[in-house]
Amino acid sequence: MAEATRTARSLPKINPVDRPYWEGAAAGRLLLQRCNRCGKVQFFPRPVCVECFGGDLAWIQAKGSGTIHSFTWVRVPRNPAFKDETPICYVNVILDEGVIMESRLVGAGCERVKLGDRVRVAFQETSSPEIKLPVFELA
Amino acid sequence: MRRRKVCFVSYGSTEYSRKSEASVLTHYADAIRQALERAGISKKEIQGLSITTQASPDFSPHVAEQLGLELDWVLNGDYGGAGGVMSVRRAADAIEAGHIDLAVLVGGNSFDRSTPHQRPLEYQRANYVDVYGYGGPNSLMALIQRLHMERFGTTLEQLGRIAIAQRENALNNPQALFRQPMTMKDYLESRMISDPIRLFDCVMPCSGAECVVLASEEKARSITDKLVYLVTDAEKVHYQVAEMIPDKTTFGIKVVGERLFREVRREEIDLFEIYDDYPIAVLIQIEDLGYCAKGEGGRFVEGHDLTWHGDFPVNTGGGQLSVGQAGLAGGFLHIVEALRQLRGEAEGHQVKKAERALVTGIGWLNYGRNLGTTAGLIMERRQ
Repeated sequence: MAEATRTARSLPKINPVDRPYWEGAAAGRLLLQRCNRCGKVQFFPRPVCVECFGGDLAWIQAKGSGTIHSFTWVRVPRNPAFKDETPICYVNVILDEGVIMESRLVGAGCERVKLGDRVRVAFQETSSPEIKLPVFELA
Repeated sequence: MRRRKVCFVSYGSTEYSRKSEASVLTHYADAIRQALERAGISKKEIQGLSITTQASPDFSPHVAEQLGLELDWVLNGDYGGAGGVMSVRRAADAIEAGHIDLAVLVGGNSFDRSTPHQRPLEYQRANYVDVYGYGGPNSLMALIQRLHMERFGTTLEQLGRIAIAQRENALNNPQALFRQPMTMKDYLESRMISDPIRLFDCVMPCSGAECVVLASEEKARSITDKLVYLVTDAEKVHYQVAEMIPDKTTFGIKVVGERLFREVRREEIDLFEIYDDYPIAVLIQIEDLGYCAKGEGGRFVEGHDLTWHGDFPVNTGGGQLSVGQAGLAGGFLHIVEALRQLRGEAEGHQVKKAERALVTGIGWLNYGRNLGTTAGLIMERRQ
């Protein structure tokens, strides 16, 4: 039987659609797509507007604030490379722009998190100098 | 839409095991062979084949070559946990259109933790979920369960009633991997996996396969006198996908249920085989199907007996929570159990009046929402 392959913490594989998002994050800015035709803001980055199917999407800078919609404490991550970071506070945040975003809550007081708490985006360093991960802290 | 002349004529289930040296192809072959033998169908009568798996090799023509099947219709029914029900729908379409008279639909897996699980890359999961140390489906359901508990006051004890009833249903099912009684204490004290999801909320990955055989009515009459008809079926894929703030506590099953109950009254269903990767998924589907109001699921399961001998029989063979989830055999387990019940062959856990069954399938985790694929069907025994 094959031995389990040692896995690393995964990093995003940047593609043409979401390149501006990751370049923004590396510069400390949280970017969202907005449709130039109907004005709908969407997340995650996609090649079309999911409302009107328009293909002309602009990037806007989000305020970076939102509220906790739901959360869980991950004790058994799917990728074992994250095990030493458990429990991980995995959150759904509703940004003030009206989109839902999955991320991680870090920093002071996160063990007391509850639904509706206000949060602010922060950018976490990764093993790649080009990539920073948008995470959240209690506001 | 009501189906006119499509019948389930046979089924086959392999033994389930935690790990298995046998390949998924061997499990497929075992389940198909059993289904053919049960109904006295020869291999040459198979005109259509659908496979549903997460493992390689995953192309139906490839599987057909390995099994030596010459076919007029093939399908890769890979729609997550809804793959079973959705495969039945597509095969029924092909039968009603006259393309084929008989199709074999199979789902299964060979699970082994020592080899990394390979799946095609879905970029939103890789770039926006996995990078944070996500816990997989356990975490997704945890987010949903927390919302349901906070919004509607649903309790762990109410969810535990579902897991415990299903365990009781499994006691007389030799296929089930878990056949010892579960107490509320066992449930509440099981290890935390992704709060508030605990170990006994989660299905156990395992190895095995399930097979169902679908045929035209005319062909079915030549095979069996236990006629089980596909009455109606529906699906909803990516419900609410364009909503940026979706309601996570309602699945596409809500729309599926509305369509099913245009053809058959809600009150006419005798047993429920509800896709159960987690108790909270069962509870939400009971609500979405309209057996109680949204948010009342907890009180509903307190007020009903969900065992095979109860007034609202759910997952009468123990469901995936007690039988185990052999990959995408999971989407078929419920169809096969319904068929067993409607044919009067569920020894030791036979529902007394089993004329009409409702089966659901749910699957495919989507970003920030709940389930990408949802489907349901109603089966009926007729003389």
